[in-house]
Amino acid sequence: MLTVQNLKEFGANVEEGLQRCYGNEALYIRLCGTIPTEKKFDELAAAIEAKDLDTAFDTAHALKGVLGNLCLSPMYEKVVDITEYLRARTDMDYSKKIADILADRDRLRNIAE
Amino acid sequence: MENFRRKSGIKRSIIIVEDEMVNREILSNILQETYDVVKAENGKEALEKLGSGERKYSLVLLDLLMPVMDGFEFLENIKNDEMLKKIPVIVMTAEKQAEVKCIKLGAVDFITKPYDMPEVILARCERIIELSEDKSFIQSAERDALTGLYAKDFFMEYIRQIENFDNSRKTDAVVINIDHFHLFNELYGRKQGDRVLKKLAEFIHEALDEGKGLSCRSEADTFYIYCDHRDDYEGFIGMLQTQLDSLEFTNHIRIRAGVYQGVDNEAIVENRFDKATTAANNIRGDYIRNIAYYSKEVYERALYQERLIKDIDGAIANKDFMVYYQPKYGIQGDEPKLRSAEALVRWKHPELGMISPGDFIPLFESNGLVQRLDYFVWKEAASQIKKWKDEFGISVPVSVNVSRIDIFDPELENKILNLLEENDLEPGELMLEITESAYSENADRLIEVIGDFRAKGFKIEMDDFGSGYSSLNTLTTIPIDVLKLDMQFVRNMLKNEKNLKLVEIILDIAKFLEVPVVAEGVEDEEQLRILKERGCEVIQGYYFSKPVPPEEFTQFIIKEKGRIS
Repeated sequence: MLTVQNLKEFGANVEEGLQRCYGNEALYIRLCGTIPTEKKFDELAAAIEAKDLDTAFDTAHALKGVLGNLCLSPMYEKVVDITEYLRARTDMDYSKKIADILADRDRLRNIAE
Repeated sequence: MENFRRKSGIKRSIIIVEDEMVNREILSNILQETYDVVKAENGKEALEKLGSGERKYSLVLLDLLMPVMDGFEFLENIKNDEMLKKIPVIVMTAEKQAEVKCIKLGAVDFITKPYDMPEVILARCERIIELSEDKSFIQSAERDALTGLYAKDFFMEYIRQIENFDNSRKTDAVVINIDHFHLFNELYGRKQGDRVLKKLAEFIHEALDEGKGLSCRSEADTFYIYCDHRDDYEGFIGMLQTQLDSLEFTNHIRIRAGVYQGVDNEAIVENRFDKATTAANNIRGDYIRNIAYYSKEVYERALYQERLIKDIDGAIANKDFMVYYQPKYGIQGDEPKLRSAEALVRWKHPELGMISPGDFIPLFESNGLVQRLDYFVWKEAASQIKKWKDEFGISVPVSVNVSRIDIFDPELENKILNLLEENDLEPGELMLEITESAYSENADRLIEVIGDFRAKGFKIEMDDFGSGYSSLNTLTTIPIDVLKLDMQFVRNMLKNEKNLKLVEIILDIAKFLEVPVVAEGVEDEEQLRILKERGCEVIQGYYFSKPVPPEEFTQFIIKEKGRIS
């Protein structure tokens, strides 16, 4: 189960995230709890696998917005990084970057469980 | 307004268009205390909600990248919708590059992602809603609903704003009026009148295009123009007149303009237009000039007229107005016979001296004050007829002027009947002169009034026949007892054969209609002879006497009494 404490331990900037939620801790925790099951992580991985960089960019961009608002750094920073490569449609090996992001997602999933 | 908004507790509706649930929830949480928040997951859903008419939206918070319909397509859609395009849109994006495109599509502001602190977002939303409501309020008030030109107050304010930034430009203040517009409205109806006003506004707007000036409708048929100085306005006004002449749905509409040129930008804006108005008023009823420029003379004339207007009531009370009488003689017998008199008003002002009727009658006619003066003259004349009757045992009927405005007075008949009763007179002793122009303004009312008076035994004289826009039709439709031939005919009839022929024709028509003719302005024996030979029955003019005070008039009565006996 996610708590302020374990989110902090995960690396989230909880203070800023709570501010953005107008101090509504329950809301913040609930919204963070949706991230482990967020389909866009897998969609991003699939798009990159399929070399569909347009879809990959759109998906990364959407994830970036959500993670940024929840201040789920360092996951957020990783998504920002991949988004910029995808924005330029850079033809490169994304597997390491994707793996890192998915690892963070899984880590958060473990905490949530 | 802002205070009212806050204190009234009115909760405005905001729609958040965002496909990411997390983002929607965060924004909603920030805004829901202050606003009613509606959520949509994409542009299409948002358009459906906005268009449903279920509520009035004050703001759209729009994400750009969404499935089904993205933010750009949404903006394209509302840009073409008259109602929806009025709702301000704040775009939420992390993409700097998208901002220019969004602005071009009508977005008013941006919220970056990740979101700013809640206080900043709230303040932004509040500010945008406030600006949008103020703008919409200003837009509805700044324009004249009929013509689409500026409303007067905004027009004045915009001039002040322009001059705040640059008051070195030489500018003019122009006032444009339509001659006798109330008459046009009466004859053709208000709807048609409005069409004319709209067209004139359109022509003015076009003429001032390309930032050459501002225009507004000040009131009714009065338009104001503020523009760069030009030396003369012949071309400008001429062009407007030509365009009006080309309108198919109306007869001749004539405009007149007053111009205050090379304006001193230090002068109060409203005052400049007052001066242009003064110039325009100066040519009211002038059928030759249609542009008047403000000058010292115009100013002094306006001041003089203001003085006369201010003094009229005092002058009536103090009897500074005096009624003079000019005799009218029947000429068909062997010797001229005193038939009646015309009452004519004179003004001996205690400070300004004798004032010409030409200076005050048209002035009082133009503002309706002539009604008071007319009543004064009727009262004086009725009392004078009685005095002469009592003193000499002879009734000398006196004709008095009934102005156009009197015709519309519902109390007209009562006022005159009361005067007769007070002085123990018969209706035939106080004759009523009505000018021909009264007919053109409201024929039905005039015919009704005249009919009522005649039924009671009054004699109606048509004054100044032939001086204005004459119509022979007038003679056959208005039931009159006497026709007074304008003095210009008499003065000109000896100048050439044509003029003489004209007089003969009028006399023939009058004879055919069995209406006696009084010729005005007869000054010599030759004129009298010619008119007598051609069947004119009554003569008025300096040949017999100028208008004289009542005490001098008695000599004519004494002489007439001697002649009878």
